[in-house]
Amino acid sequence: MSNSIPEIENADLLLIFGYNGADSHPIVARRIIKAKEKGAKIIVVDPRITESVRIADLWLPLKGGTNMALVNACGNVLINEALYHKEYVGKYVEGLEDYKTAVAKYTPEYAEAITGVKADDIRKAMRDYAGAKNAMILYGMGVCQFSQAVDVVRGLASLVLLTGNLGRANVGIGPVRGQNNVQGTCDMGTLPDVFPGYQAVTDAKARRKFEKAWGVKLSGRIGYKLTEIPHLVLQEDKVKAYYIMGEDPVQSDPNAGEVREVLDKMELVIVQDIFMNKTALHADVILPATSWGEHEGVYSSADRGFQRFKKAVEPKGDCKPDWQIICEIATAMGYEMKYEDTEEIWDEMRGLCPSFAGASYKRLDELGSIQWPCPTEEHTGTPYLYEGNKFSTPNGKGQLFACDWRPPLERVDEEFPLSLSTVREVGHYSVRTMTGNCRALQQLADEPGYVQLSVEDAEELHIRDQELISISSRRGSVMARALVTERVKKGATYMTYQWWIGACNELTSDHVDPITKTPEFKYCAVKVERIKDQAGAEQHVRDEYAKLRKQMGVNV
Amino acid sequence: MSGTLNSFVVANPNQCIGCKVCEIVCFAVHNKNNQVAMSVGTIAAPVIPRLYLVRGETFTMPIQCRHCEDAPCANSCRIGAIKQEDKRIVIDENDCIGCKTCLLACPFGAIDLLPQFKDGEAVIQANLKEESEFGLEEKVKTIAYKCDLCQDHGEPACVTACPQQALTLVIPAEEKKRRNRQAAVNLLSALN
Repeated sequence: MSNSIPEIENADLLLIFGYNGADSHPIVARRIIKAKEKGAKIIVVDPRITESVRIADLWLPLKGGTNMALVNACGNVLINEALYHKEYVGKYVEGLEDYKTAVAKYTPEYAEAITGVKADDIRKAMRDYAGAKNAMILYGMGVCQFSQAVDVVRGLASLVLLTGNLGRANVGIGPVRGQNNVQGTCDMGTLPDVFPGYQAVTDAKARRKFEKAWGVKLSGRIGYKLTEIPHLVLQEDKVKAYYIMGEDPVQSDPNAGEVREVLDKMELVIVQDIFMNKTALHADVILPATSWGEHEGVYSSADRGFQRFKKAVEPKGDCKPDWQIICEIATAMGYEMKYEDTEEIWDEMRGLCPSFAGASYKRLDELGSIQWPCPTEEHTGTPYLYEGNKFSTPNGKGQLFACDWRPPLERVDEEFPLSLSTVREVGHYSVRTMTGNCRALQQLADEPGYVQLSVEDAEELHIRDQELISISSRRGSVMARALVTERVKKGATYMTYQWWIGACNELTSDHVDPITKTPEFKYCAVKVERIKDQAGAEQHVRDEYAKLRKQMGVNV
Repeated sequence: MSGTLNSFVVANPNQCIGCKVCEIVCFAVHNKNNQVAMSVGTIAAPVIPRLYLVRGETFTMPIQCRHCEDAPCANSCRIGAIKQEDKRIVIDENDCIGCKTCLLACPFGAIDLLPQFKDGEAVIQANLKEESEFGLEEKVKTIAYKCDLCQDHGEPACVTACPQQALTLVIPAEEKKRRNRQAAVNLLSALN
């Protein structure tokens, strides 16, 4: 996020794009409500009625998979109605002429035909957005999990640049990132192209620094991305082993059938986790790790804030903290890796990453949290980026971007007439490895899980609320409970991705964004069918659930 | 005589984010004898809340008992298991026969009928058995549950637990007095 989560409360306008705070981050959702109470205008872009839509001043209910067309139309209005901040753009931004050409055909009327959003609502949204003193954009997976994702992120950033909403408090653009510490894993270099602190593996100087510190030779080649692995294993036979930590790809990656095939073909699969999960069923070796209450460390929040957390209880049973397991594996493989505690690891990392250098344990304890960049121990962190409107481009100027809209890579047709988007629900976290083992949360929302569908579609298909139904795509078929709701529009369905029985990733497609290789979780074609024998279906669900629990040794 | 009116809990839908913390804490404080000790994650009994989060096109909020002065549930109870007690309407769960009349009588849908639990175990009916393919089997006792304003807990747990402070315990006499005073202030400012 360019700005901080607490600043959300002080914005005059929030443009929430493909982000459902109440279900993904209830703590951030509280800030959105506080902003509203303090008088902020709320504009929400979402195909479904979410809690934010409920309190919004303006709702743009776009069709799934049409983000870029809408963002271009927003740019078109800013340009054609001369709403953009000419002085700011003149001083700090480049590429205006190309941008104008690229968005020229995306008039609100042109976009209405694609997105289904009323042309006048697009105009009104942009007049409000450009007119607000301090406006902030929040976006989520409704932007990133499409085959056209990076383009939309850059398109949204262009709206921010055009209106000069950067470089000061209570403005900016916030990708409110998925899970706890997903920001931290990126900060620490678990991406295929960077070392810790976003230092490129292709940068020879950075590479030499890490080689010297670790006493090894490092590759300057960019690694594989997660979603490239299935192809590399099944078609090219290039990847032979998989070491999976705190991740359940059979549950969380698209096209689960293919993921299982990949795991079974690999020569070695190691899973390091706190409980059994679907991926661990395919592992050759399972390394039991401690959970968050049983060890210490540092988390990064979505707004770049480092926070220390400490051990609350002693671990039980045969398990170790992740860092100790890694050290022992490395040592056994011939590279002696030894640390006294997590602080020693953290200090080594700080020494190698200039933008994290000042965030020592001592300073973190004193300040509670530190947002990077924090170059020295005297520095108190950076709540918002781009002070003085200097950007991290070669000439320091912000770059405008627009390109043509591309539809999702799978389309609905006669055989699979409905769209499926995968979403979150408040009671379960990620793949439910933790929350599925908490009895109270499990009971509030239990297997086989739900398919949200519109009242109109339910009527047409003769489906009653809470009935078991069958939902299928070109890749698979699962059973789940119908959740018939006015919040969903005709033609669309939604499922949360943590269920073992109603596992929506048996259905999702493995199309990805060309740059990030993030899967198109938000759009695939499905069909929904009524099940006549409800008693038989209920029994089938109970049997399947019992079988899985037995396989995993779950007694919760 | 607003001083004798029953209190009740009500939610502000503009503040509710639908997180269900109220449901969990409601269950937790009412099931101390059902092994809900350290953490609700370790419970054996099913989660039975006495307020219900509802979601619709335009609303998200928990709905619970209004503790009506002329309570239709109590008026309809065939065996007198629902009574007025210290400014609240309560169900005697041991007397309840599960006839469901109160569920139908309540205009808010604030009453639900669910299995009874004691010490983490389902309570079994004394005589009634259920016919099954294995012969006659024991049947779990089902009783009516509703909000009792946390009578054994002190103040309503949902009000204190809500992270949004979306729930309020309304004490009608105080609320009336507050509004009278506010009206006076408003009139005064209109005059000046």
